[in-house]
Amino acid sequence: MGIIEEVIDDVLVEIINIERATIREAEYLKEKITPKINAGYIKVIVDLSAVEFLDSTFLGVIVGTLKKVVKQGGDLKLVGFKPPVRSMFELTRLFRVFETYPELQDAIKSFHK
Amino acid sequence: MAENKTANRILLVEDEFNIAKLFQYNLTKAGYEVTVGTNGREGYEIAEKIMPDLIISDVMMPEMDGYEFRKKLLTNVELKKIPFIFLTAKGEEDDILQGYDLEIEDYIIKTSSPKVVLAKVAAILKTLEKERSKVVDEVQKAADTMGVRVVPDEFPKFEGFEISHWHQPHKNVPGGDFIDYIKIDDDNLVVVLGDTMGKRWGAWYFAIAYAGYVRSATRFVLESTKEYKPSDVLHKVNESVFKDERISEVFITLSVIIIDRKNKILKYSGAGDLPLFYKSSSGVQSFISKGLLLGFSHSGEYEDHELQLESGNELFLVTDGITEARNSAGEMYREEGFIEFLSKVDTSEDTLEQIKKELFDYTAGEFEDDVSVIKIKAL
Repeated sequence: MGIIEEVIDDVLVEIINIERATIREAEYLKEKITPKINAGYIKVIVDLSAVEFLDSTFLGVIVGTLKKVVKQGGDLKLVGFKPPVRSMFELTRLFRVFETYPELQDAIKSFHK
Repeated sequence: MAENKTANRILLVEDEFNIAKLFQYNLTKAGYEVTVGTNGREGYEIAEKIMPDLIISDVMMPEMDGYEFRKKLLTNVELKKIPFIFLTAKGEEDDILQGYDLEIEDYIIKTSSPKVVLAKVAAILKTLEKERSKVVDEVQKAADTMGVRVVPDEFPKFEGFEISHWHQPHKNVPGGDFIDYIKIDDDNLVVVLGDTMGKRWGAWYFAIAYAGYVRSATRFVLESTKEYKPSDVLHKVNESVFKDERISEVFITLSVIIIDRKNKILKYSGAGDLPLFYKSSSGVQSFISKGLLLGFSHSGEYEDHELQLESGNELFLVTDGITEARNSAGEMYREEGFIEFLSKVDTSEDTLEQIKKELFDYTAGEFEDDVSVIKIKAL
């Protein structure tokens, strides 16, 4: 469904290659990401560069995953915001809780500092 | 071209150009949105991308045939749920039986008339819709029997104020939005608007749980203090929710208002919610709270906004079903659209009715989420 998963070193990268990320895609992402986190991947990057809109269900999965990995000493970082997605994160004040990067490479590097 | 939000999406996988063209023409003419793939591999890629409502596939195709395509779809939890029809040239028994072993809905002989094809497609989509409605009806009945409500049937009576709401559940299935009015005493009323992340029944279930949390936190907080602060309610709910493992993956936005009738003072605090919109003689203003979504962090950082109201002032709390409503061109209504509308609205008439009409006109009645608006007017 246009979600590409990659593991780069010990970082789990989910590239959301979808314009409108809503409930269907949210369930799919959750099904993909949960077993990986249970298997010990706690450094996660979600790349939203292609996303024009995400609804609260999709946002809920990202926030839920962040909470889960932070509890285990990890982090979830975000890459690439288009203006509508940026305004959604600003509106829900979630900007304060996520580290964001313009490029995937920068986010990966930040995990290896 | 304008996006048709209601059209069923059909994926047609067929390598013979003329047959694909003919089927595509007839299905499109009947109002379906058709995407064509030329073999199983391509079909699978498209299915992942567009999540069609129905897949029609040829059997004999190069690269990946229909059987392999179907088998591949069955390995994907999401894609295996999509009804699947085989298109067969032979109509031979073995061919068809092998298809049924692969959990297909039906088969169509390629030479069938367009009428037969359309009737089969319509029947399958209708059956699915019926099944969905049946389940919804049953759960709805159960909810009614239990007397479970996430939105009150009546508006509160509170002297000096007119309070009303408009709530429209998505596709008439109860969802994640909830509204509550809690009267602390004769002079103080709490107004609550929440939105559980998620949709339909899953969200509705948590909305009920959260509405309960908010109610008990409100009582607990307000019984132990004389100074009524909505931020205290949010801190208390957040603390409970944060610790509760059962709902640790459920997040919610919440707006809490406490109205002091005697002094005409309104206090507002929010958690990840949309702004409070305030219409007075000097125009429309919005107040944005700093608070984070409930249940996310231990502190939450909730604070209060205080407003001294004058007669005729109106305030609105809304959920994202309003700001994210889309028109037929797919454009969102947005916060700016709502502010612009409020600035023009005639307050001598019922504002809520005008908002309702505006949103129905904007979306042509096609809402994609729960829609909730609470109006508070100082008389």
